[in-house]
Amino acid sequence: MVPNLVQASSYASSIDGLILLVAVFVGVGFIVAEGMFFWLIWKFRARPGEKSQYLTGSEKHVKRWITIPHGLVLICDVFIIIGSVRVWYDVKQHLPEADSTIRIIGQQWAWTFQHPGADNELDTDDDTFTVGDLHVEVEKTYHFRLESRDVLHSFSVPVFRLKQDAIPGRSITGWFRPTVTGEYDVQCAEICGIGHGVMAARIHIEDANQHAAWLSSSSAATTP
Amino acid sequence: MMARLRTVKRSVIALLVVGAAACDATPPPVGMERGEELFETCAPCHGDAAAGDPKIAAPAIAGLPQWYIQEQLAGFQGGFRGRHADDLPGLRMRPMAVTLNREGDIESVAEYVASLDPVFPASTLHGNAGAGANSYIVCVACHGADGLGNPDLHAPPIVQLDDWYLLAQLRNYKSGARGTAPADVWGTTMRVNTLAMDDQAMQNVIAYVQTLR
Repeated sequence: MVPNLVQASSYASSIDGLILLVAVFVGVGFIVAEGMFFWLIWKFRARPGEKSQYLTGSEKHVKRWITIPHGLVLICDVFIIIGSVRVWYDVKQHLPEADSTIRIIGQQWAWTFQHPGADNELDTDDDTFTVGDLHVEVEKTYHFRLESRDVLHSFSVPVFRLKQDAIPGRSITGWFRPTVTGEYDVQCAEICGIGHGVMAARIHIEDANQHAAWLSSSSAATTP
Repeated sequence: MMARLRTVKRSVIALLVVGAAACDATPPPVGMERGEELFETCAPCHGDAAAGDPKIAAPAIAGLPQWYIQEQLAGFQGGFRGRHADDLPGLRMRPMAVTLNREGDIESVAEYVASLDPVFPASTLHGNAGAGANSYIVCVACHGADGLGNPDLHAPPIVQLDDWYLLAQLRNYKSGARGTAPADVWGTTMRVNTLAMDDQAMQNVIAYVQTLR
């Protein structure tokens, strides 16, 4: 599987499902509409001695070629809206109880991560700061506090299907729950200057033993 | 009709030739030409003449020795510079250095920067040069009495560096934002010498260094 198509968070599959739903509706609609378009071009092609007609679209039998597809699009929209609201609520509105909280700081052009230490409390002396490497434990729910030190950034973890803007002066809270161990990309998804394209990091999703080992081996806390 | 077809045919061939030429990814050979090309990445911050821009904490680098620029770029790539949460200008520089990823890129850009006319940026700090002269005794062993550095000891010519940049780096060494990575052997040496300095002592010694120009 393409690495970035891995579903590594608890909500990745529901976001993919929503995208698939939209793709199927739009895809089927596109194929049917194009098929009809070319069929009509062929059916009403120029023939010797036959004049073209000007259709106002006011007659019922003509108008239904617009109203019926329009109605079908609206029905599809209802399904898409219901799906979107459900996913939006799960990912953005609903904040499940956290097992741990981390701070993510974007700056031109690096990501700094503040991990809680053994006390599992953020902003205490045993916190660990890393640049470019985020360490999390699989099957634990994390809250993140996302901040920016300079300009707009966007914290994006493709395998989580997570993308959240970072805005200077604000601390934005979000959450994720990793479901698969491994090492994956973190990127900035908001143009933030000349180094935007190389503003990358890695997320290390570890099992409990690996994470405990990393925590104990990580360097002493530094305060940014 | 045939003439028009011929014109279209020629145009398509010309476009293909131009397209193929544009897709040719062969870089210029290692050296000044490639260095000048690569420097386009540096110019937005360091300036066209590499004279630096204090507003964005980009130091003047024009005319610095090639070996020094190479070492610093390698340090940024290796992760022992610009990888500390406190070092914001370093965090900006590191991704830029990482883009120099072809063999010979670092050497080429360093050669080009070294070939530029050196600049001696104006003083911006107000340290006591007299007091700084005493502190500088410690620095002489590596940076020399004239502040021109010593390649054998990996000590750069500090007379040429911005005073605000020197202060930022001394603070970085002292705080551990620089000079703590095991791979940074020479940085570790430098860090030891900053631990006993307070901010005023740093500004004093920098003021003295400025008098060596």
